[in-house]
Formats: sequence, C-alpha cells, structure tokens
Amino acid sequence: MTTTPAAAANTVVPANTVMIEAQGVQKWYPNGFHALRGCDLRVNRGEVVVIMGPSGSGKSTFIRTFNALEDFQKGRIVVDGIALSNDLRNIDAIRREVGMVFQQFNLFPHLTVLDNLTLAPVLVRKRAKAEVERQAMALLQRVGIAEQASKFPGQLSGGQQQRVAIARALCMEPRILLFDEPTSALDPEMVREVLDVMRNLAEDDITMVVVTHEVKFAEQVAHRVVLMAEGEVVEEAPPQVFFNTPSHERTRRFLDQIL
Amino acid sequence: MNSLLRRLRHELFATPGDAVLSVALLALLTLAMGGLLRWALVQANWAVIQANSTLFAVGRYPAEQQWRLWLLTSLLVGAAGLSWGLLRAHPRADRQGLLWPRNDRVAVGLLAGLAVWLPWALGLTGGIQARWWGLAALLIGLRWLAGRQGASWPPRLLKLVPLVWPLLYLTGMVLIGGGLGVAKVSPSEWGGLLLTLLSASFAILLCFPLGVLLALGRRSELPLLRWASVIYIEFIRGAPLITLLFLGQNIFGFLLPNGLAPERVWRAAWVLTFFAAAYLAEAVRSGLAAVPTGQVEAARSLGLSQARALQHVVLPQALRVALPAMVGQFISLLQDTTLLSLIGLLELLGVARTVMANPEFLGKNAEVYLTLAVLFWCCCAALGLGSRALERRLDPRTVPSR
Repeated sequence: MTTTPAAAANTVVPANTVMIEAQGVQKWYPNGFHALRGCDLRVNRGEVVVIMGPSGSGKSTFIRTFNALEDFQKGRIVVDGIALSNDLRNIDAIRREVGMVFQQFNLFPHLTVLDNLTLAPVLVRKRAKAEVERQAMALLQRVGIAEQASKFPGQLSGGQQQRVAIARALCMEPRILLFDEPTSALDPEMVREVLDVMRNLAEDDITMVVVTHEVKFAEQVAHRVVLMAEGEVVEEAPPQVFFNTPSHERTRRFLDQIL
Repeated sequence: MNSLLRRLRHELFATPGDAVLSVALLALLTLAMGGLLRWALVQANWAVIQANSTLFAVGRYPAEQQWRLWLLTSLLVGAAGLSWGLLRAHPRADRQGLLWPRNDRVAVGLLAGLAVWLPWALGLTGGIQARWWGLAALLIGLRWLAGRQGASWPPRLLKLVPLVWPLLYLTGMVLIGGGLGVAKVSPSEWGGLLLTLLSASFAILLCFPLGVLLALGRRSELPLLRWASVIYIEFIRGAPLITLLFLGQNIFGFLLPNGLAPERVWRAAWVLTFFAAAYLAEAVRSGLAAVPTGQVEAARSLGLSQARALQHVVLPQALRVALPAMVGQFISLLQDTTLLSLIGLLELLGVARTVMANPEFLGKNAEVYLTLAVLFWCCCAALGLGSRALERRLDPRTVPSR
C-alpha cells in the first residue's frame, strides 16, 4: 500500500484532477467474509475506468463503497474532494455528486418514466419542477426514449429501462457515474443500445467507473482497465496493454477464460 | 341467441360428468332461492323493519335534530358524486378511460332503482321518500356534471378536491355531536347504522397511520422501538377483542382523571382503533417486505434521505402491495363493531336486539337478522369495490384499459 503525502497529511487532493481516490480499502461482511483485502484505485476527472474480474471478486462491492452503499472497515476513500466517513451529511453530499446505474435497473415502478427522472432533482436539489421536466425530456431524447416519458417502467423492455436508469442518474447532474454490471441482466439484443448510450456519455466530461464483462466496450472506451480477483486489485493498465500484454499471470488466466 | 346456447353447453354440459354436476347444482340453487323468496315475499312480516326504520338508521337520535344527519348525508352524497365524476374525467395518464364505462351505468341504474323502490317498500312518509329521490338525483347529477366539465377544470382546483373528504369528516363530527353553535347531541343518543359507521370509520381512519408507524417500528434498527412494537402487536393480537373492549371501558377511568375519560362510545372507538392497528401493522409489514432492497439503494444513491426514500419510494409501493390485506382488515373491523352491542352500545346489532325484545315484534328475528346481514353486506361490498378500483388505478403493470 502506497501512501501519498497528501493522504498522510489528511488534506484533500485537488478536486479538479482526482475524482475518486481509494487507498487500502478493506471490508468484512458481518458473516466474517473478507470481501475487500486492501484495494487501491485512483480515478481522474473525465476518465473511464472499467473494472473486470471473476464473479465474487469484490468488484461490485468495491464500487458500492464509493457512494457508501457499502461500508468498509479499513482504508480511506475520497470522492470529489470529500472524505467518506460515517458522517451522514458527508454521505448525502457525496451521493448527490455520484450517480449509480444498477444491474437490475431499480427504476421506481410506481412512478412514470418522467417522474423517475424528476423525483430526486426536485426533492434533493430543490429545483423547479417545470425546469427539471424540460431537462428530463432532453435527457430522454438523448438516450432515445422521449416518446415513452408517460409510461411506467414495467411497460418498457429491459434495454429501455436501463436507458431510463442512466437518464435518471444524469438528471441529478452528477460528476461521477458508477455502473454496476449495467448489461448483465439484459437480453443479448438489448446490450448494444445500452452500451451505445454509455459510449456517447464517455465522450463527455463525466467520470465513469464501470464494472462489466463487455470486453469490446472496455477495449474501445476505457482509459484504463482494472482486474480484481479475490478482493484485491491485481492489474491496472490501459486497454491495449491489459488485453494484449498483461503483466500478471492471474490476468492472463482470466482473459483466457472470457476471450 | 344461438351463441349463448353454445356457450352454456360448452361451459355447463361439456362432459356427462359436468352435466350431472350442473343439473344437481342448478336444482339445489333453485330450491334454495325458491325457499328464500317464498319466505321473504309471503311468510315474512316486514312490519318490524318498516316500524323501526328510523331506529335502525340512527338509534335514539332526537327527531328534531335529524335534519343535521340529512344535511350530512347530502354533503357526503354530493362529494361522492363529484369525486366519482372527476375520477372518470381524469383517467390515468397512460390510459384512455371511458367517461361512462358499463359498470358505472349499471351502478347508476341500480342506485336510482334502490332510491325509488326501497323508501316506497318501507312505507316511509312522502316527505322522506322525496328526500331519498333528491339524494339519488344529487349523486347522479353531480356525477354527470363533474364527468362532463371535470376535464376542463384547472389543475389547482383539482388538487383541492381530495381535501373535501377530511374537511367533510370534521364537519360531520360537528353535525353529529354538536358544538360550534350547533346544539349538543350526547353520544349516548347515537345509534344504529349511524353509530356503526361512525365507530368503524373513526377506527379505520386512525388505525391506518398507527399501523404504518407500528410496522415501521417493527422493522426499525433501534432495538427499543423494535421491541416495543413487537410487544404491542403480539399482545393485542393475542387478546380477544371483546376482552379488550370490556377492559377499555374500565381502564380509561383508571388512567385519566375523573371527567377527562372519554364518553363510552369514544372509549370503544379507541379500543377498536388500537386493536385494528396491530393487525394493520402486520399487513403493512408484509408490504414493506415485498419492496426489493434495490429500491432503497436506488433512492439513496440519488441523494434522497432515509425519510424521503421511505415517503416517496418505499411506502407507496408497500402500501399498494398491502392494500388487499388492509381492506380485508377494514372489512372485519366494520363487522367487529357488532361487539359494541355486548358492552351496551346501541349500534346496529344493539338496536336489533332491543327491537326483537319488544313484545310487539316477538318472533321476528329472521327478518331483523336478514336485514342486518344485507346492510353489512352492502357496506363491505362498497369497501371491497372501492379497494379494487384503487388497486387497478395504482397498479403500474396494468396496460391501458380498452
């Protein structure tokens, strides 16, 4: 574990360069399972980082610590200049800046698509409803489902639902987007429409951390690819290095299995 | 005609076994219905109901103050017609509802028929018969008007309409009990259907928030709150309502200083409330358990606080799931009000018992009990129909209707 002088002095890294800084993060589940065994990761502004790894390697757990959906027992995480602690105000402040897209979409089934998008900006950011609705319609346009705005999530296909979920996260204007296996629950023919939206997003300024098994997406879009195994970060490299000349045996074995 | 015959044949006489079963059941039904009708139309003596209709409706409520109840009824009927019409004029955004679906036409026909026939059959005076016609006309007229004009009402006005109901409830309390310049009518003079509906609606309205709080308490992470809720729920569910009712009549006297203890009717209504809350809490808890954890995670990751996530994401879904079970609780609560007769209150069953004890009407128990059963059935059917309509309106999975 390397400690930078900045972290040692407990001061905050300038927010304009480093968006997420995780150092030596360790987590045990209540049943004693050691899920994260000292993970380090640094994500710069505007960067797209893809995390890969076999199931059970802790990659989902790791990114869920970034917005405090999972707690951790050891180590340190700084998100957008705010150190994650048990202080609830801190957590709320971080969650406002970090959007998340889930494997199971987790749209609110009792609200229309449009209300799914506007709920949080109106309640949390206290913005005017009419203005948020205009922005929401523009976002739905961007992900290609503006005509479904008054439908309920249950009336949409999986791919459409996931695109709504991305638009919902964007409507809070987050600086960081976390994707937790966004295409794993989709039928194969719907994977592409979601990945296209994510590609489109990556061209923007937004910082993205993506847990996925989509090799092509990682190759084409990621700035860096990270391999996690058994709760540790094994390898971290630009995609052309990661997929062609990985330095770790564990990475080679993983790539043999999926390619 | 031919298709009807074919359908009957297909549904009732598809195989020899089906045919035998159908014939046997039809015979049984005909016998039972025939017997009941013969009894109701020929043998039964409905004078007991005709002579006591006012008693059944309002108990010993003073005759010169009954105009207040008529006023309240017409207000309620008016609000019902208005809400009904507006609901039809504003179907859910993703559906195209009809302004006059078939069920509505049937209901209006039925209500109009009942309003004309029943007061006449009961031999009520001409003035009172006319009032019932007026009430029916008010309901149907407002339903028609609100349905026609409602679509063009400004949204701000529409938002005020649901407020009519709680306002009306408070107005009703004043109209029934007096106060604010209206002459007092002591609760001991309330009775019959009035008392039944009043105690049931009071308990239903108050047990709902209480039950939700108890259910949340039971799932809370604070051990003290959790244990308090569990103990309360399990204690209430372990005791028969009748013992709690008797206990309630005494305990309020011990707990509160003299004069502060509520009137007997209110003591009973509070006991009903506390009793129903425990059962309701369990229904709500099952609804809460049905909301996936991903919903809370999604709400929290959008920055909603715990309370906001509960209010806007978890509870709306949980309550929709729990709705059928909750309405089941409300229906049994309505029927449980008959137990009030055992602690000496003259609600429907209490009135019935005094009527049957009257030497003039000896041996007319069947007529009285049947009337009671029909009255309760009507109230419960209304609750059930309302809940099903609400379920349909809230169900996000239902695809556009017709």
